[in-house]
Amino acid sequence: MIVAFIFLASMTLISALAVVLSRNVIHSALFMSGSFFGVAGFFVMLNAPALAAFQVLIYVGAVTVVILFGIMFTQRPQVRRFRLIVNRQMWSGLFVALGVGAFLAYILSIQNWDGTSPGYGPRETADLGEILLGLNGAPEIFSLLFEVISVLLLVAVVAAIVVSRRKTGEGIDRGVEE
Amino acid sequence: MQQFLDTLNAALPLEGYLVVGAVMFAIGAWGALIRRNAVVVFMCIELMINAVNLSLVAFADYLPNAGGAGVGYAVLVIAVAAAEVAVGLAIALAVYRSRKTVNVDEINLMKG
Repeated sequence: MIVAFIFLASMTLISALAVVLSRNVIHSALFMSGSFFGVAGFFVMLNAPALAAFQVLIYVGAVTVVILFGIMFTQRPQVRRFRLIVNRQMWSGLFVALGVGAFLAYILSIQNWDGTSPGYGPRETADLGEILLGLNGAPEIFSLLFEVISVLLLVAVVAAIVVSRRKTGEGIDRGVEE
Repeated sequence: MQQFLDTLNAALPLEGYLVVGAVMFAIGAWGALIRRNAVVVFMCIELMINAVNLSLVAFADYLPNAGGAGVGYAVLVIAVAAAEVAVGLAIALAVYRSRKTVNVDEINLMKG
Protein backbone atom coordinates (compact mmCIF):
# COMPACT_ATOMS: atom_id res chain seq x y z
CA MET A 1 0.00 0.00 0.00
CA ILE A 2 2.64 2.49 1.05
CA VAL A 3 4.79 1.80 -2.02
CA ALA A 4 1.83 2.28 -4.34
CA PHE A 5 0.85 5.42 -2.47
CA ILE A 6 4.30 7.00 -2.75
CA PHE A 7 4.53 6.09 -6.43
CA LEU A 8 1.11 7.53 -7.26
CA ALA A 9 1.61 10.64 -5.14
CA SER A 10 4.94 11.48 -6.77
CA MET A 11 3.51 10.77 -10.24
CA THR A 12 0.50 12.99 -9.60
CA LEU A 13 2.33 15.90 -7.98
CA ILE A 14 5.37 15.95 -10.28
CA SER A 15 3.10 15.85 -13.34
CA ALA A 16 0.98 18.64 -11.86
CA LEU A 17 4.08 20.80 -11.33
CA ALA A 18 5.21 20.03 -14.86
CA VAL A 19 1.84 21.24 -16.20
CA VAL A 20 2.44 24.60 -14.56
CA LEU A 21 6.13 24.98 -15.40
CA SER A 22 6.41 23.39 -18.85
CA ARG A 23 7.22 25.87 -21.60
CA ASN A 24 5.55 23.85 -24.33
CA VAL A 25 1.74 23.80 -24.25
CA ILE A 26 1.55 20.29 -25.73
CA HIS A 27 3.85 19.02 -22.97
CA SER A 28 1.54 20.64 -20.43
CA ALA A 29 -1.45 18.74 -21.86
CA LEU A 30 0.39 15.41 -21.82
CA PHE A 31 1.64 15.94 -18.27
CA MET A 32 -1.94 16.74 -17.31
CA SER A 33 -3.06 13.32 -18.54
CA GLY A 34 -0.25 11.76 -16.48
CA SER A 35 -1.54 13.55 -13.40
CA PHE A 36 -5.07 12.28 -14.13
CA PHE A 37 -3.69 8.74 -14.41
CA GLY A 38 -2.19 9.10 -10.93
CA VAL A 39 -5.55 10.21 -9.55
CA ALA A 40 -7.19 7.20 -11.24
CA GLY A 41 -4.70 4.96 -9.41
CA PHE A 42 -5.69 6.63 -6.14
CA PHE A 43 -9.34 5.85 -6.93
CA VAL A 44 -8.46 2.17 -7.31
CA MET A 45 -6.68 2.27 -3.94
CA LEU A 46 -9.74 3.93 -2.41
CA ASN A 47 -12.16 1.13 -3.37
CA ALA A 48 -13.76 2.98 -6.28
CA PRO A 49 -12.64 1.01 -9.36
CA ALA A 50 -15.68 2.07 -11.41
CA LEU A 51 -14.83 5.71 -10.78
CA ALA A 52 -11.24 5.01 -11.81
CA ALA A 53 -12.58 3.66 -15.10
CA PHE A 54 -14.65 6.84 -15.54
CA GLN A 55 -11.56 8.89 -14.78
CA VAL A 56 -9.46 7.14 -17.40
CA LEU A 57 -12.22 7.28 -20.01
CA ILE A 58 -13.34 10.87 -19.46
CA TYR A 59 -10.23 12.70 -18.27
CA VAL A 60 -7.29 10.79 -19.75
CA GLY A 61 -9.25 10.06 -22.90
CA ALA A 62 -11.79 12.73 -23.69
CA VAL A 63 -10.73 15.90 -21.86
CA THR A 64 -7.07 15.55 -22.90
CA VAL A 65 -8.05 15.05 -26.54
CA VAL A 66 -10.44 18.02 -26.45
CA ILE A 67 -7.74 20.21 -24.92
CA LEU A 68 -5.22 19.03 -27.53
CA PHE A 69 -7.72 20.04 -30.22
CA GLY A 70 -8.05 23.40 -28.52
CA ILE A 71 -4.28 23.81 -28.57
CA MET A 72 -4.22 22.84 -32.23
CA PHE A 73 -6.73 25.55 -33.11
CA THR A 74 -5.50 28.38 -30.92
CA GLN A 75 -1.71 28.31 -30.59
CA ARG A 76 0.82 29.97 -32.80
CA PRO A 77 4.49 29.05 -32.51
CA GLN A 78 5.62 30.86 -29.41
CA VAL A 79 8.88 32.11 -28.05
CA ARG A 80 10.29 29.49 -25.73
CA ARG A 81 11.38 31.65 -22.86
CA PHE A 82 10.10 30.94 -19.39
CA ARG A 83 9.67 34.64 -18.67
CA LEU A 84 7.07 34.88 -21.44
CA ILE A 85 4.73 32.11 -20.33
CA VAL A 86 3.99 33.63 -16.93
CA ASN A 87 2.47 36.98 -16.11
CA ARG A 88 3.69 39.52 -13.59
CA GLN A 89 2.03 37.75 -10.65
CA MET A 90 4.53 34.88 -10.61
CA TRP A 91 5.89 35.30 -7.06
CA SER A 92 2.78 36.71 -5.43
CA GLY A 93 0.86 33.82 -6.99
CA LEU A 94 3.40 31.39 -5.58
CA PHE A 95 2.96 32.86 -2.11
CA VAL A 96 -0.84 32.67 -2.37
CA ALA A 97 -0.72 29.05 -3.57
CA LEU A 98 1.81 28.06 -0.90
CA GLY A 99 -0.38 29.70 1.72
CA VAL A 100 -3.49 27.89 0.53
CA GLY A 101 -1.69 24.55 0.31
CA ALA A 102 0.03 24.86 3.70
CA PHE A 103 -3.19 26.02 5.37
CA LEU A 104 -5.26 23.17 3.92
CA ALA A 105 -2.60 20.55 4.71
CA TYR A 106 -2.23 21.86 8.27
CA ILE A 107 -5.97 21.95 8.95
CA LEU A 108 -6.50 18.47 7.49
CA SER A 109 -3.60 16.93 9.45
CA ILE A 110 -4.34 18.35 12.90
CA GLN A 111 -7.90 17.06 12.68
CA ASN A 112 -8.37 13.92 14.73
CA TRP A 113 -9.18 11.17 12.23
CA ASP A 114 -9.35 8.33 14.76
CA GLY A 115 -12.18 5.95 14.09
CA THR A 116 -11.78 6.19 10.34
CA SER A 117 -10.54 3.19 8.44
CA PRO A 118 -10.56 2.30 4.76
CA GLY A 119 -13.04 -0.06 3.20
CA TYR A 120 -16.39 1.76 3.38
CA GLY A 121 -16.42 2.85 -0.25
CA PRO A 122 -18.84 1.38 -2.81
CA ARG A 123 -16.51 -1.23 -4.21
CA GLU A 124 -19.23 -2.95 -6.27
CA THR A 125 -20.40 -1.06 -9.31
CA ALA A 126 -24.00 -1.91 -8.38
CA ASP A 127 -23.54 -0.01 -5.10
CA LEU A 128 -22.31 3.03 -7.01
CA GLY A 129 -25.33 2.81 -9.28
CA GLU A 130 -27.68 2.71 -6.28
CA ILE A 131 -25.94 5.76 -4.81
CA LEU A 132 -26.32 7.66 -8.08
CA LEU A 133 -30.05 6.89 -8.18
CA GLY A 134 -30.63 7.56 -4.48
CA LEU A 135 -31.71 4.02 -3.66
CA ASN A 136 -31.14 1.89 -0.55
CA GLY A 137 -30.34 4.59 1.97
CA ALA A 138 -28.29 6.86 -0.27
CA PRO A 139 -29.29 10.55 -0.16
CA GLU A 140 -32.41 10.90 -2.29
CA ILE A 141 -31.21 14.21 -3.72
CA PHE A 142 -28.96 12.18 -6.02
CA SER A 143 -31.88 11.17 -8.23
CA LEU A 144 -32.59 14.86 -8.86
CA LEU A 145 -28.91 15.74 -9.35
CA PHE A 146 -28.55 12.91 -11.87
CA GLU A 147 -31.30 14.40 -14.04
CA VAL A 148 -29.98 17.96 -13.64
CA ILE A 149 -26.50 16.83 -14.72
CA SER A 150 -27.83 15.19 -17.88
CA VAL A 151 -29.71 18.38 -18.84
CA LEU A 152 -26.58 20.42 -18.04
CA LEU A 153 -24.46 18.28 -20.36
CA LEU A 154 -26.96 18.72 -23.19
CA VAL A 155 -27.05 22.49 -22.65
CA ALA A 156 -23.23 22.64 -22.53
CA VAL A 157 -22.87 20.75 -25.81
CA VAL A 158 -25.37 23.06 -27.54
CA ALA A 159 -23.66 26.11 -26.03
CA ALA A 160 -20.22 24.93 -27.17
CA ILE A 161 -21.51 24.56 -30.74
CA VAL A 162 -23.22 27.97 -30.69
CA VAL A 163 -20.25 29.83 -29.18
CA SER A 164 -17.56 28.35 -31.40
CA ARG A 165 -19.54 28.37 -34.65
CA ARG A 166 -17.99 30.32 -37.49
CA LYS A 167 -20.26 33.12 -38.62
CA THR A 168 -20.74 33.35 -42.38
CA GLY A 169 -18.25 35.64 -44.05
CA GLU A 170 -15.96 35.84 -41.03
CA GLY A 171 -12.38 34.62 -40.85
CA ILE A 172 -10.58 32.65 -43.51
CA ASP A 173 -11.13 29.08 -44.53
CA ARG A 174 -7.64 27.61 -44.42
CA GLY A 175 -8.71 24.30 -45.93
CA VAL A 176 -9.74 25.98 -49.16
CA GLU A 177 -7.04 28.60 -49.25
CA GLU A 178 -3.94 26.50 -48.75
CA MET B 1 11.24 -9.41 7.62
CA GLN B 2 7.61 -10.26 8.28
CA GLN B 3 7.25 -7.10 10.32
CA PHE B 4 8.66 -5.05 7.43
CA LEU B 5 6.17 -6.62 5.04
CA ASP B 6 3.35 -5.87 7.47
CA THR B 7 4.45 -2.23 7.61
CA LEU B 8 4.39 -2.09 3.82
CA ASN B 9 0.90 -3.58 3.67
CA ALA B 10 -0.59 -1.51 6.47
CA ALA B 11 -3.56 0.69 5.65
CA LEU B 12 -2.68 4.33 5.13
CA PRO B 13 -4.16 7.05 7.31
CA LEU B 14 -6.73 9.36 5.78
CA GLU B 15 -4.41 12.37 6.12
CA GLY B 16 -2.13 11.06 3.37
CA TYR B 17 -4.76 11.31 0.66
CA LEU B 18 -6.07 14.62 1.96
CA VAL B 19 -2.61 16.21 2.00
CA VAL B 20 -1.90 15.00 -1.55
CA GLY B 21 -5.23 16.52 -2.60
CA ALA B 22 -4.41 19.82 -0.85
CA VAL B 23 -0.96 20.06 -2.45
CA MET B 24 -2.39 19.24 -5.88
CA PHE B 25 -5.05 21.92 -5.40
CA ALA B 26 -2.36 24.46 -4.47
CA ILE B 27 -0.30 23.61 -7.56
CA GLY B 28 -3.38 24.01 -9.76
CA ALA B 29 -4.21 27.34 -8.12
CA TRP B 30 -0.66 28.56 -8.68
CA GLY B 31 -0.82 27.65 -12.37
CA ALA B 32 -4.23 29.27 -12.81
CA LEU B 33 -2.86 32.46 -11.25
CA ILE B 34 0.42 32.80 -13.11
CA ARG B 35 0.08 31.30 -16.60
CA ARG B 36 -0.74 33.62 -19.50
CA ASN B 37 -2.11 31.02 -21.88
CA ALA B 38 -5.88 30.51 -21.44
CA VAL B 39 -5.72 26.82 -22.44
CA VAL B 40 -3.12 26.12 -19.74
CA VAL B 41 -5.34 27.96 -17.26
CA PHE B 42 -8.08 25.45 -18.18
CA MET B 43 -5.70 22.57 -17.52
CA CYS B 44 -4.85 23.98 -14.09
CA ILE B 45 -8.55 24.32 -13.26
CA GLU B 46 -8.95 20.64 -14.20
CA LEU B 47 -6.10 19.82 -11.80
CA MET B 48 -7.91 21.64 -8.99
CA ILE B 49 -11.17 19.79 -9.78
CA ASN B 50 -9.29 16.48 -9.66
CA ALA B 51 -7.75 17.35 -6.30
CA VAL B 52 -11.21 17.97 -4.86
CA ASN B 53 -12.43 14.69 -6.38
CA LEU B 54 -9.58 12.85 -4.70
CA SER B 55 -10.54 14.30 -1.31
CA LEU B 56 -14.22 13.39 -1.87
CA VAL B 57 -13.42 9.79 -2.71
CA ALA B 58 -11.00 9.51 0.22
CA PHE B 59 -13.73 10.69 2.61
CA ALA B 60 -16.23 8.30 1.02
CA ASP B 61 -13.89 5.36 1.61
CA TYR B 62 -12.74 6.25 5.13
CA LEU B 63 -15.74 7.71 6.96
CA PRO B 64 -18.01 4.95 8.29
CA ASN B 65 -21.26 6.92 8.14
CA ALA B 66 -20.77 8.48 4.72
CA GLY B 67 -22.29 5.50 2.93
CA GLY B 68 -19.97 6.08 -0.01
CA ALA B 69 -21.89 9.17 -1.10
CA GLY B 70 -18.66 10.99 -1.95
CA VAL B 71 -18.16 8.72 -4.95
CA GLY B 72 -21.57 9.77 -6.26
CA TYR B 73 -20.63 13.42 -5.85
CA ALA B 74 -17.34 12.73 -7.65
CA VAL B 75 -19.27 11.38 -10.66
CA LEU B 76 -21.37 14.55 -10.73
CA VAL B 77 -18.25 16.72 -10.46
CA ILE B 78 -16.65 14.86 -13.39
CA ALA B 79 -19.75 15.56 -15.51
CA VAL B 80 -19.75 19.26 -14.59
CA ALA B 81 -16.02 19.50 -15.37
CA ALA B 82 -16.55 17.92 -18.78
CA ALA B 83 -19.28 20.49 -19.55
CA GLU B 84 -16.97 23.26 -18.35
CA VAL B 85 -14.15 22.13 -20.63
CA ALA B 86 -16.45 22.01 -23.65
CA VAL B 87 -17.82 25.53 -23.11
CA GLY B 88 -14.47 26.98 -22.01
CA LEU B 89 -12.58 25.76 -25.06
CA ALA B 90 -15.39 27.00 -27.30
CA ILE B 91 -14.97 30.44 -25.73
CA ALA B 92 -11.18 30.27 -26.20
CA LEU B 93 -11.74 29.37 -29.86
CA ALA B 94 -14.15 32.29 -30.37
CA VAL B 95 -11.73 34.69 -28.67
CA TYR B 96 -8.82 33.47 -30.80
CA ARG B 97 -10.88 33.97 -33.93
CA SER B 98 -11.53 37.63 -33.18
CA ARG B 99 -8.35 38.67 -31.27
CA LYS B 100 -5.71 36.27 -32.69
CA THR B 101 -4.42 35.50 -29.20
CA VAL B 102 -5.46 33.52 -26.14
CA ASN B 103 -3.09 35.18 -23.69
CA VAL B 104 -5.26 36.27 -20.81
CA ASP B 105 -3.33 39.51 -20.17
CA GLU B 106 -3.77 40.70 -23.76
CA ILE B 107 -7.55 40.26 -23.79
CA ASN B 108 -8.58 43.54 -22.16
CA LEU B 109 -11.79 44.38 -24.00
CA MET B 110 -13.76 44.75 -20.77
CA LYS B 111 -11.01 46.48 -18.79
CA GLY B 112 -12.24 49.75 -17.36
